[in-house]
Amino acid sequence: MNLIQELQHAQLSHTTRRLFLQECAAGLGAAWLASAASNAAGASGVQAVRDAARPLAPIMPPLPAKAKRVIYLHMAGSPSQLDLFDYKPELQKLDGQDCPQEFIAGKRFAFIRGVPKLLGPQFPFQQHGESGAWLSDRLPHLASVADKLCFVRTMVTDQFNHGPAQLLVHTGNQNLGNASIGSWATYGLGSENQNLPGFVVLLSGGKFPDAGKSVWGSGYLPSVYQGVQCRSSGDPVLFLSNPAGIDRSLRGKMVEAIADVNRQTYNEAADPETLTRISQYELAYRMQMSATDAMDLNQEPAHIHQMYGTQPGQESLANNCLLARRLVERGVRYVQLYDWGWDSHGAGENEALHHGFKDKCRELDQPVTALLLDLEQRGLLDETLVVWSGEFGRTPMRENRGGQEMKLIGRDHHPHAFTVWLAGGGVRAGYAHGETDPIGYAPITDRVEVRDLQATMLRLLGIDHERLVFPFQGLDQKLTGVKPARVIDSIIA
Amino acid sequence: MPNDLASLFALTSSRLAGTLAALVVASCFGVTNACADDAKSAESSPRVSFNKEIRPIFAKHCVGCHGGVKEASGLSFIYRESALAEAESGLAAIIAGNATDSNLMARITDPDPESRMPPGDHGPALDPQQIDALKRWIDQGAEWEEHWSFVPPQSHPLPAVARTNWPRDPLDQFVLARIEAAGLAPAPDAARAEWLRRVSLDLIGLPPTAAEFAEFELDNRPDAYERVVARLLASPRYGERWASMWLDLARYADTVGFEKDPHRDIWPYRDWLIRTLNDDMPFDEFTVRQLAGDLLPNATLDDRLATAFHRNTQMNTEGGTDDEEYRLAAVLDRVSTTWQVWQASTFRCTQCHSHPYDPFRHEEYYKFVAFFNTSRDADLNGDEPLLKIPQEAGKWAEAEQLDEHVRELERQLFELQSPLTRDPARWQALPAVAASATGNATMTIQNVAENGEAISEVRAEGTITAGSTFTIDLDLAGLERLTAVRIDALPKDPAQALKIPEDGFVLSQLKGELLDAAGAVVGEVPFAAAFCDEPAPLFDPQESLREGLEGWGDYTRMSRRRFAVFVPARAVEVPSGARLRLSMNFGHGDTGGGALVIERGRFAASSSDDWIPFANDSRYAQLKLQLTELKKARAEIAAVAVPIMAEQPAEFARQTQVFARGNWLDRETAVTPGVPEVMPPLPGGAPVDRLAMARWLASPENPLTARVMVNRLWQELFGIGIVETAEDFGTSGELPSHPELLDHLALRFQGEHGWSVKRMLRDIVLSSAYRQAGVATSDKLALDPRNRLVARGPRTRLTAEMVRDQALTLSGKLSEKMYGKPVMPPQPDGVWRSAYNGESWITAEGEDRYRRAVYTYWKRTSGYPALATFDMPSRDVCVVRRIATNTPLQALATLNDAAYVELAQGFASRMAAAADNPAAQIAAGYRLATGQALHAAKLRRLLELYEAAAAAFDADPAAAQPLAADRATYALAIVANAMLNLDDLLTK
Repeated sequence: MNLIQELQHAQLSHTTRRLFLQECAAGLGAAWLASAASNAAGASGVQAVRDAARPLAPIMPPLPAKAKRVIYLHMAGSPSQLDLFDYKPELQKLDGQDCPQEFIAGKRFAFIRGVPKLLGPQFPFQQHGESGAWLSDRLPHLASVADKLCFVRTMVTDQFNHGPAQLLVHTGNQNLGNASIGSWATYGLGSENQNLPGFVVLLSGGKFPDAGKSVWGSGYLPSVYQGVQCRSSGDPVLFLSNPAGIDRSLRGKMVEAIADVNRQTYNEAADPETLTRISQYELAYRMQMSATDAMDLNQEPAHIHQMYGTQPGQESLANNCLLARRLVERGVRYVQLYDWGWDSHGAGENEALHHGFKDKCRELDQPVTALLLDLEQRGLLDETLVVWSGEFGRTPMRENRGGQEMKLIGRDHHPHAFTVWLAGGGVRAGYAHGETDPIGYAPITDRVEVRDLQATMLRLLGIDHERLVFPFQGLDQKLTGVKPARVIDSIIA
Repeated sequence: MPNDLASLFALTSSRLAGTLAALVVASCFGVTNACADDAKSAESSPRVSFNKEIRPIFAKHCVGCHGGVKEASGLSFIYRESALAEAESGLAAIIAGNATDSNLMARITDPDPESRMPPGDHGPALDPQQIDALKRWIDQGAEWEEHWSFVPPQSHPLPAVARTNWPRDPLDQFVLARIEAAGLAPAPDAARAEWLRRVSLDLIGLPPTAAEFAEFELDNRPDAYERVVARLLASPRYGERWASMWLDLARYADTVGFEKDPHRDIWPYRDWLIRTLNDDMPFDEFTVRQLAGDLLPNATLDDRLATAFHRNTQMNTEGGTDDEEYRLAAVLDRVSTTWQVWQASTFRCTQCHSHPYDPFRHEEYYKFVAFFNTSRDADLNGDEPLLKIPQEAGKWAEAEQLDEHVRELERQLFELQSPLTRDPARWQALPAVAASATGNATMTIQNVAENGEAISEVRAEGTITAGSTFTIDLDLAGLERLTAVRIDALPKDPAQALKIPEDGFVLSQLKGELLDAAGAVVGEVPFAAAFCDEPAPLFDPQESLREGLEGWGDYTRMSRRRFAVFVPARAVEVPSGARLRLSMNFGHGDTGGGALVIERGRFAASSSDDWIPFANDSRYAQLKLQLTELKKARAEIAAVAVPIMAEQPAEFARQTQVFARGNWLDRETAVTPGVPEVMPPLPGGAPVDRLAMARWLASPENPLTARVMVNRLWQELFGIGIVETAEDFGTSGELPSHPELLDHLALRFQGEHGWSVKRMLRDIVLSSAYRQAGVATSDKLALDPRNRLVARGPRTRLTAEMVRDQALTLSGKLSEKMYGKPVMPPQPDGVWRSAYNGESWITAEGEDRYRRAVYTYWKRTSGYPALATFDMPSRDVCVVRRIATNTPLQALATLNDAAYVELAQGFASRMAAAADNPAAQIAAGYRLATGQALHAAKLRRLLELYEAAAAAFDADPAAAQPLAADRATYALAIVANAMLNLDDLLTK
């Protein structure tokens, strides 16, 4: 144990007692400290120093922040950028021709074998708004708010399988065991509402994202920073409801009794952990109420349900969009949505561009647009960063699984170019960053790595990605990893 | 932003007192330690200690640029020879014995921040004490010392102590000396019940029973404590508790991980572990079996099962994944895990470059990879190779004999075939005259020059369709009769395939026909026997002659030329001008549905009579028949197929190369297996293989193995290891709080105790250090908040498993059933939802509902929620240290989880049976749980809760029914539910 860590811990233990005696105002329970292990890497990082009893107490970000919270909409499976946002008339002309060797020689695809055919955009595109953004006709609602969006068309990744690619997008590394960006955000900033988890995960589409819970795991960060999955059916948070036969009033009495007995235990053994336990039980009790309340869509008026297309009690992307608004409204730092079912290979109807993909677009279009408008009308959009992405792109070639023409039309996984869009929270609205080549295979300008996007998101939250670190296994670990990452200044307003 | 200490003080001035107190403690671990030692040696020679004074300066201020990753100016402070060599500047940073002329001194004292080292933007200038230390050290000869953990443990004299009555064990003397040096006193011995509960939870993972509490309380024999420890160590529950610890290291789970995360039957390894721990297999043997049990001479079934340790790696079954990429990911994970578990080293840092702090070179990483790179597993969706473990213990011996017999027969058969198949004189190359394929592949015939001869080859190119059948016509000119056909499959680029293997092939079906000169079919070539170039291939080549997808192949990737021989039932007479037509169907695909075909094939035929017996009644056929029967007998033994380690045949073993910057697609020089130079050498006289490596780890010469293991035991018992970073004993890890104690325990473990974990544990739990009461005082909290000095007994939260097992015990429902398939206790609906995976959670009935946590089904992507909430890791990768957290979600789990409510009801009914009034019942419950009397104030408070619950029942009896039918049962259940959540119970 080095000096700084000793010091931090002493401070934490000390604070714990002090807090118990005089519940202090939120914000003093944590601070930033220079990281001890940081010098080996050159520049010095910072570590959030926290009060063990209030690990999610909010901390002021070290830099001026444009966004206070994040809603991240992840379309698991990866929608086709070529059929939604990255308009390629040239590709249309080449439709049906053999893909030139230069694009396939020495490359490995997930399912494409040999020489596939090029595949033009499958839906008509039009320009929208003052910005003139190109969107296909699959997203008419979203097109109406095109001027609020900031597109990055030149995203690249080096992973072409779902699991590893999702891990890379959310934890900065394709391998398991690293901390997700929501964990980093709550570790670095805490959360504004202590009665709700600071990092909430909402799922739709019927399945977990391919990489499972690891995409909202806290990796080497303390597990208190991992995402908490909230659910539309059953308990909104696992074990949130009192068991049948115990009502809230009696539960309150139980928690009080536990606290009183624990205080007696503290008098005997003087273990500061006991005090932490007392406060965690009290928090759990408050969370039972506030999480139930936050997750109750029935409280919303009819016009809001109409706007989002929500039906309470269902598990849907629409419900999750509305829940996301309710959560950020209550001060939750990071809300992560995963919508499963965007893997449009063409191997079956559900995953064909002219079938399942069209349905998914319909399910996406109205609620996501409503979310942006609703945040705006409540004055929340300015300080809420909304990010929409998949984990990679789709090929400009038609998939030929097993080396033969398939009945339905689809595209394979494509790491070399994909589109994400951002909105709100300090991003440059009505702007499109970067350009891909005429068939949309790879960027020809402004290539943006996943780690660049992450660095930019952290910067918008007021954090320098180089300096938000956690010492683990001899390294100052950071979200963006060891390769150089850069903030994309041009997408910041 | 407060990023320095001064501004932190400003921000938190009210905490200044605590902070300053902490500074004092910090110094007693770091600085004063060195000072004390120096004071001692000052009289003789005031030598600067490299490890204590110089290495920390290099590690903190220099190696970021001049270390294993970047050697700026060609200078590294990891190795002495580099630090003393001439750098790119032409100057030597360090000239031994001459600080004045050493460039290092000039640079660190340079007043210009532009040219000073470390540069201004990397950190502050070195302080005068550091500069002085460097100067003196250089003048004294700039001697290097190995980092402490690479130096073998030394025997240290027991330090003098004032409280000579306190130590019960020599280890106590090391502990006490530090306590006294800090001006503290040890805590008094814990009450008997406190120690008994602590030691029971620590050794067997369960709290004592009421009878055990009572018996020990009254046991006045002088060896009462020893008797308790002996009983606990002999309990079968011991193996279950310690297996939980080892399973984190083994990254054990009941699923394979990644997207689909399907089921994996590897629980017989968990059972092996429990049995072996109960038998107290010495740790050196325990090590060798798990890492290389398959390579032991006369390896038993049990030895092979032990190697499942390294088959707990994840496997990726996601469609379209590259099997080679994930095979390598598993291999690298084995390297990383081996170094984490046995050496507490961040060796994996060297995957991309030399180690930033420790003396491990990039190439040495790949030399170590080479030990693991030749195992047969290859991320196959079937998880092969597998070993069938009989379900009945009584069948093990029989299965073992059968396996041995099968191996022997396979060897005999191979020895019969091999001289013939490999004799070039028996083979005549067959030129291809026509080749076609179903689907989209383009077939070409090429003549390739090799050794001055033109050899005819058939190649498949372009978009090859999965499931293709190739039809190849071969010229039989010069052959009068046909007795065997040989097919060779070659990599398209043999040199490159040794690095990145090419797509493999599976010949699902082979048919032969004879054509006349005009191309009309005139007869069949009735292939009857098939064999290939290795004795025990994954798929039997004979399958190529039957219906089905399997057959001869190199699946799913190939790195070298392979061949197989197919023998017709009888010699086939070849009319003049006839051709042989081979129809080859390749039905097997890769995970992306891609074709696995022979993309480059050569064909030959033989007319030798020697082949005839292979397809007819002969010794060969008898052997084959016998083999079939043995395999059938083995298959009839009900068994579970468990993934295990096995080596590739030497002839086809993979080559290992250095990965440039850790990128598996970019290969540099080839390497052979070996261990890093800084470590002791491998034992001589034995093959350099996985077994040699395992023995090297498990030897007293290895400076780390014993230390790392005793540190782990200490961590389990005291909450924090002597080296807090139990996963990192390297330069970047923490220094030991008690270095001499660590050495003392390590030597005792590997020497006196002969690597017996039980004997080591016995010593520690009987020590005075461990027996102390877990009560903190204000001076101890201020000076030593985390109890690094062990000046009080350990007080730590129960592990996830213990939280569940304690509740099971108190409920009276705990099943003592051991071993077997993982169980599914109640879990909320909708927790399991992996993509493309139809497996579901089927809640156990009967006693399987109440099994110990170690038997709970563990799904990697969706762990059992109540355990995961209490910090049980996902088991994706090796976890050396669980960091205990304290969160509201834990409170929600133990308050509300239906599983815990059911156990609270059980606990309440035991309380009800123990006495006849609420106060006595509550007190009895507390005594059941802790062995201690319930403090009056606590009792009063719990009685109030009882009354409140009773009142709630009276107010609405109907609403209370789901929990209990009557008032008293209800009230007691509420109290029991609360009691399972008390700090007293959640902590040991």
